[in-house]
Amino acid sequence: MEAPAVEIEYLRKRYGSHEALAGVCLNVPRGSVFGLLGPNGAGKSTMIKSLLTIIRPTECRGRMLGKPIGDRATLGKVGYLPEHARFPEYLTGREVIAHSAGLAGVPVRTTRERTVRLLERVGMIEWGDRKLGTYSKGMRQRIGLAQALVNEPEIVFLDEPTDGVDPGGRIEIRKMIEGLREEGRTVFVNSHLLAEVEQVADHVAILARGRVIQSGTVDQLTRTSRRYELRTVGPVPPALRAGLEHEGLEVAGDRVAMVANDAAPVQPVIDLLRGAGVAIREIREVKDSLEEIFLKAMEGKEAA
Amino acid sequence: MRAFLTILTDSIRLLRARALFWISLGISVLVALLYLSIGFDDQGMSLLFGAFQIDSAFLSKGSQGAELLYLGIFRNFIVAWWLTWIAIVIALVSCAPIFPEFMNEGSAGVALSKPVSRVKLFAYKYIGALLFIAVQAILFAVIVFFAIRWRVGTWNPTVFWSVPVVLLVFSYLFSVLVLLGIKTRSVMASVMITLLVWFTCFVAQLGESVTHAAAERGVGIMGEALTEEDQRKWQAGHRWARLPYVILPKTGETTALLDRWIVLGDGENLGRSTFDAIQEGGRVEGLDEHAKADLERHSTGWIIGSSLVFEALVLGLACWMFSRRDF
Repeated sequence: MEAPAVEIEYLRKRYGSHEALAGVCLNVPRGSVFGLLGPNGAGKSTMIKSLLTIIRPTECRGRMLGKPIGDRATLGKVGYLPEHARFPEYLTGREVIAHSAGLAGVPVRTTRERTVRLLERVGMIEWGDRKLGTYSKGMRQRIGLAQALVNEPEIVFLDEPTDGVDPGGRIEIRKMIEGLREEGRTVFVNSHLLAEVEQVADHVAILARGRVIQSGTVDQLTRTSRRYELRTVGPVPPALRAGLEHEGLEVAGDRVAMVANDAAPVQPVIDLLRGAGVAIREIREVKDSLEEIFLKAMEGKEAA
Repeated sequence: MRAFLTILTDSIRLLRARALFWISLGISVLVALLYLSIGFDDQGMSLLFGAFQIDSAFLSKGSQGAELLYLGIFRNFIVAWWLTWIAIVIALVSCAPIFPEFMNEGSAGVALSKPVSRVKLFAYKYIGALLFIAVQAILFAVIVFFAIRWRVGTWNPTVFWSVPVVLLVFSYLFSVLVLLGIKTRSVMASVMITLLVWFTCFVAQLGESVTHAAAERGVGIMGEALTEEDQRKWQAGHRWARLPYVILPKTGETTALLDRWIVLGDGENLGRSTFDAIQEGGRVEGLDEHAKADLERHSTGWIIGSSLVFEALVLGLACWMFSRRDF
């Protein structure tokens, strides 16, 4: 089995008495899109910055692309789009990309070729020679994405990549992330836009107050909340209702709900209802969205 | 090398984008052109490429008076004011945003996440600023070099000493500016405090010089002769006054090295005492022995070496802070 792209055994960051990251342990599989979710101040950006040496962690054990975290040479295989990226306004889009390439050690000729390709990829080829001062926020974000890819990284860190981008632009960025996955790159996305992450991520981790409170594949996380709902024609008769509730089912008016991983446990309920002459008008599988899982996890964290 | 050139290019783009850069370059060229515009002919001298004429046999073309005046302007205005003060202030203000802007949230992240160490990033940014100032100083020296040849008729390559000297003085102060820029991330605060440090250097050198004159030669502040007892008191004072002088960079003395290094055609230096002596009728006669001794009291090695030690310590501290900082 291929080693994870990022393997954090223990990551801790303290600012005086405030613990921004309280001993995080996390694995990011190679070639996957990994979503790191969490409310503002949870430590998402701190985690990315720690991995990229922008912040000096208090304690850090782990590996990135097979090398100890913080290894300089490894950073040449990494791309990064910072949150609130502020590239100088006096630069053109092309110059921003070239600057990033130069620091990553990409040869000049290769940079020129890749710049054209990347500008096309992010839909900015016609704007490449204009100053950033003339760009909208969404256009700057696209250029930020292009500069993150100029060294053809094995892993790309995107910190709030759709921040300030219009709905059309968000769809394009999502497609771009999917494209990166298809190319075999690992994409690490920090976001508070859960619905977007859900659409694109294979794996997610929920971070709250510097700790990972849940992690796994999107399927794993949503499976724990999977349930079935049946709707009857008219309310469930009181005699049946008492029995169903006694078995742990949730009954409200014409709705019967039960937690189940698959449809098998639902069959006896259908039989019971039909046997009692109750007509069923709808059966559906229901899963919590990532947002609901996130909120539940946060509530659990608060309660703890 | 690729990373160095990238950072250098970025620094130049940053400076080029600032109106102040073009203003300072414009003033630099204007000063050089004004100097170039002074001409001499058989009737006397002209200003602004002949727009104004001053008739004087003493200043006619090829006369010693013309050479003296032209080099005197260079010594007393261009060196004493422009290169010593104004050009340095403009250079400091121009280069002040380099580090604070680099350290802005959202700006530093991309550079720091690359395979270039922080120490290298720091060094490249610093050297980039020095190279930029060197280019400006060389341009200025070249114009002055050709101006002297054109107007006085002599080639004087010693004017190129102004390049390393300006660069040295700038580098002492820029190290302080960088440290403050990293600490405060404020362009305005770092410039203001650097100017204050510069003023402190000036006061420290003046204090050391005055107390030395009193302690060693028995000459008071107003030029009066001191008693032996007063002289002993001044000697104690001189030991204290020497302390800040030793620690701080010798900005004034470094610039004054130009008086030793820029020489006239006959090998005489461009010190004020030389000009005073010439004006009084003889090149060497009348030269103030004390002034000359005072000028050469400290060796070039001591002046530059001790200043570079200060610069190295300040830069080391700045680099350490930059390397440990979270962005």
